[in-house]
Amino acid sequence: MSPRDHTSYQEDIGAYVLGALTDLERQAFERHLKGCPDCRGEIERLRPAADALPRSVEQVEPPASLKSSLMEVVEREARELGGAAAERRPARRLRLPSLAGLRPALVAGALALGLLAGFGVARLADDEPDVRTLAAEVDQSRIPQASGRLQVAGDGEDGAILRVQGMPPLRGGRVYQAWVQRDGTVVPQPTFDVGEDGGGAVAVPDDLSGAQAVLVTREPRGGSGAPSERPILSVRL
Amino acid sequence: MADVAGDIRNLADEEVMQLVADGNPRAFELIYDRHGGAAFSLAYRMVGNRVAAEDTTQEAFLSIWRSRLRYDPSRGSVRTWVLGIVHNRAIDTLRRGSVHDRARDTIEGVEERFEAAERTEVEVARREEAAGVRSALDTLPDDQRRTIELAYFGGFSHSEIAELLGEPIGTVKGRMRLGLDKLRQRLAEGHAAGGFA
Repeated sequence: MSPRDHTSYQEDIGAYVLGALTDLERQAFERHLKGCPDCRGEIERLRPAADALPRSVEQVEPPASLKSSLMEVVEREARELGGAAAERRPARRLRLPSLAGLRPALVAGALALGLLAGFGVARLADDEPDVRTLAAEVDQSRIPQASGRLQVAGDGEDGAILRVQGMPPLRGGRVYQAWVQRDGTVVPQPTFDVGEDGGGAVAVPDDLSGAQAVLVTREPRGGSGAPSERPILSVRL
Repeated sequence: MADVAGDIRNLADEEVMQLVADGNPRAFELIYDRHGGAAFSLAYRMVGNRVAAEDTTQEAFLSIWRSRLRYDPSRGSVRTWVLGIVHNRAIDTLRRGSVHDRARDTIEGVEERFEAAERTEVEVARREEAAGVRSALDTLPDDQRRTIELAYFGGFSHSEIAELLGEPIGTVKGRMRLGLDKLRQRLAEGHAAGGFA
C-alpha cells in the first residue's frame, strides 16, 4: 500500500463513520481497513461522536398504541415459539450432520430459529422421504461464485432451510436477508451472515405452501421490511 | 419465570438482552420501555412524520425481537445498538420515499407528543443528555454541522451532499471528519459529561 493510497482512504474516514460512502466505496475502504491499524484507530476515536448523534434529537414520547401493538405481536410469537419448542424437544436426539463446519453462532441461530419456529430441522436430519432439495438461481453478475439449495419438508408448511456457498461476506453493517414471495408480495424472513469461506445457512420459518419463491437480498443489519435491491439469489418453489 | 419477572427491572441492559435471546417477552418489553422513547425520537427526527416514525420504530423493534441472537456486547451498549438499527430502518424508509406519500399525517398528534411531560428521572436525564449533545453540535462551524446532519439524519451520501451544497466532494468529506473530531472533543470536554456510555 502506498502512502498516497493511505491518505486518500484517510479522507473517507468521516464519511465511513457517518454511513455516507456508497456501497462500492465502503467495500474498498473496509478492504483497506483490514491492513491499516491507523485508520482503524481513527475510526474508534471518531465513533463516539457518531454514536452521540442519535442522542441529540429532541425527545418525544411515542404513542402508547405503538407499545401495545408491538407487544401484541411479540406475545403471540413468544407463545408460538414456546409451544413449538416444547413440541420439538424430542428432536434433540437427532443429528444435524450437514450443519457441521459452520460457525457456532450460525449453527446456534439456525437451530434456535428452526426448532423454536416450528421448522422441521429434525425431519430433514431424520432423512424423511418427503424432503425436497431445490437448487437456487443466482445473479451471476453480482455473486458469480455463489450457489444455494433449499431443503423443504413436505409441502413447505413448516418452512425450509436455505444453505448457501460462495457468497461474499458482507461488511459495514450489512447482512443477507431471506424473503418469501407470495402472490406478488414479499414477506421478510430472518437475516444471516456467511463465514469467511462464503458458507452459511438460514431457517425460513414461514409457511411455504402456495408461495412462489424464496429470495435473498443484501440489507442493513437488523433486516428490512421490504427488499432494498433486486434478489441476488432465488429459489422457485 | 415469575422470579425472573420480579427481578428483571434491576438487571443491566446486557443481562436483559440475554433473557430476550431466550424469547422472554417481559425482557423485550423492558428493553422497549428503556429505549423506545429514544428510538421513536430518532425515527421522528429522521422521517419527519408520526405514522412513518411509528412504522419505523415498530419494524426496528420487531427485527430486534426476531433477530435477538445477534446482539454483540463487544460492539457497544444496547442503546447504541438499538439506535443503530432504528437509524438503518429510517434510512430505508427515507429511500423508499414512503415518507412523502404519508406527509398528510405529519400534523396530527404532534402537539400531544411535544407537550409530553417530563415525568420520570430517566426522561429528564434523556432530555438533558439530548440538550448536551445539541449544545456540543451547535459549537461546530455551520458548514460542518450541516454536513454531518445531512449525512446522519438525512441518509445522504457524500456525493449527494456535495451536489446539494454545490461543494467539491473532498470538501464535504473533510467537513465530516473535522466536524466529528470537534464534536468528539466537545463531548469529551464535558458537554453532558458521562452521559454517553
